[in-house]
Amino acid sequence: MIRLAKLGLLALTAGVFAATGATDTRRLPADQLEKAVRSDSITIPTPGELFAALGKSEKTNWSGQYRGPMPVTYRNRAQIALNLGGLIADGFIAVEAKDSQQVKNIGSDIIKLAKALGVSERLLGRGNSINEFAQNNEWDTLQEELEATQNEVKSAMQSHADQDLVILVTLGGWIRGTQVVTAAIMQKYDERSAKVLRQPALVHFMQSRINEISPELRQEPLVKDVSEQLNGIEKLVSFPAGKTPTADEVRKINEAVGKVMTEIESKELPK
Amino acid sequence: MKRSLTIFLSIFVLGASIAARAETDAEVSARKDALDIAGAFSNDGFKIRDGHSCGVLKPHDHALVAVNLYAGNQYWFSAAAAEPAKKIAVSVYDENGKQLTTESYNNEEKAAAGFSPANSGQYFVSVDLVEGEGGSFCLVYSYK
Repeated sequence: MIRLAKLGLLALTAGVFAATGATDTRRLPADQLEKAVRSDSITIPTPGELFAALGKSEKTNWSGQYRGPMPVTYRNRAQIALNLGGLIADGFIAVEAKDSQQVKNIGSDIIKLAKALGVSERLLGRGNSINEFAQNNEWDTLQEELEATQNEVKSAMQSHADQDLVILVTLGGWIRGTQVVTAAIMQKYDERSAKVLRQPALVHFMQSRINEISPELRQEPLVKDVSEQLNGIEKLVSFPAGKTPTADEVRKINEAVGKVMTEIESKELPK
Repeated sequence: MKRSLTIFLSIFVLGASIAARAETDAEVSARKDALDIAGAFSNDGFKIRDGHSCGVLKPHDHALVAVNLYAGNQYWFSAAAAEPAKKIAVSVYDENGKQLTTESYNNEEKAAAGFSPANSGQYFVSVDLVEGEGGSFCLVYSYK
């Protein structure tokens, strides 16, 4: 407690220092920017971060973005990984909606899907925590717990030599998150909200990570298909800095990610 | 409060387990210090990302980390370095490499930069070694 109080003071002090700001601006050359460290854990934002930005400008009908129960009996590991990411994004939606029952349902489905990947044992404790926090309406803690759950899934995948599936979990979460955000913006278009959709470097980075996975996995029909469609989506989210996507551009992104999401959810894999 | 600390610690331990490579003691220590700074901002509603970037700072050099941010959110990038690093600074650049004006906090081997992007997209966070010999550092960020 005392420690936190001290840190609170630290933040206050930071606020005082903040008045000075940075004044002597400099510019980094392109070759340095190219060499910057990029990693899943810090370069790719969580769905919660995306939803936080959307929630700033408009009151979003989060419960209106729920989807029906999804199958948790997929057999293809790549498909399970993609759906797991989508399901974790659904968890963030339920947290935004402050819907404890929905959070519990999704938490249970996350464990089931993780079990299908053989990574559930370490997650059982997380599932219990999610239920407890949902029961007590601890929404901020739930956000952290969901991200921690996602990272625990990825960690377990790494220790199970399923490293290649990690980016698919991340990608599934981004696709589902973007589907929800574009749908919400379409329902009530406003320019501030639409600005969150400009993410060319993010999509490019995910595509580059997919290109690094094993040739066998990359050639799987679903992965190949998603990867090809991601190229098109990258173009759709590549707005010039400062340009706000129009309602029609938002609709096009929604259609594109919706199409990918349908394939990810489908029990029949592309051939 | 106790529960929050437990969660915080579990995230910390979990984060350690998912690092792509084994972290040194110095990096773990730097991350703990970086999380301490970020924890201060959480009193103001900032949520700490369960991700980090650790590495080694060389004299007269900087570490550059790419992040993707959303317009509408506010961010704090918090970093700490282990000895023999004496003083560090954190700065933020846009996708073209132009340095941006940030709020800043500097306290020797700990520093942070606060920023609200006008545009969504890619940004770069630089951790600079201002004083001292090279040493391990860690960067975390928080948002609201």
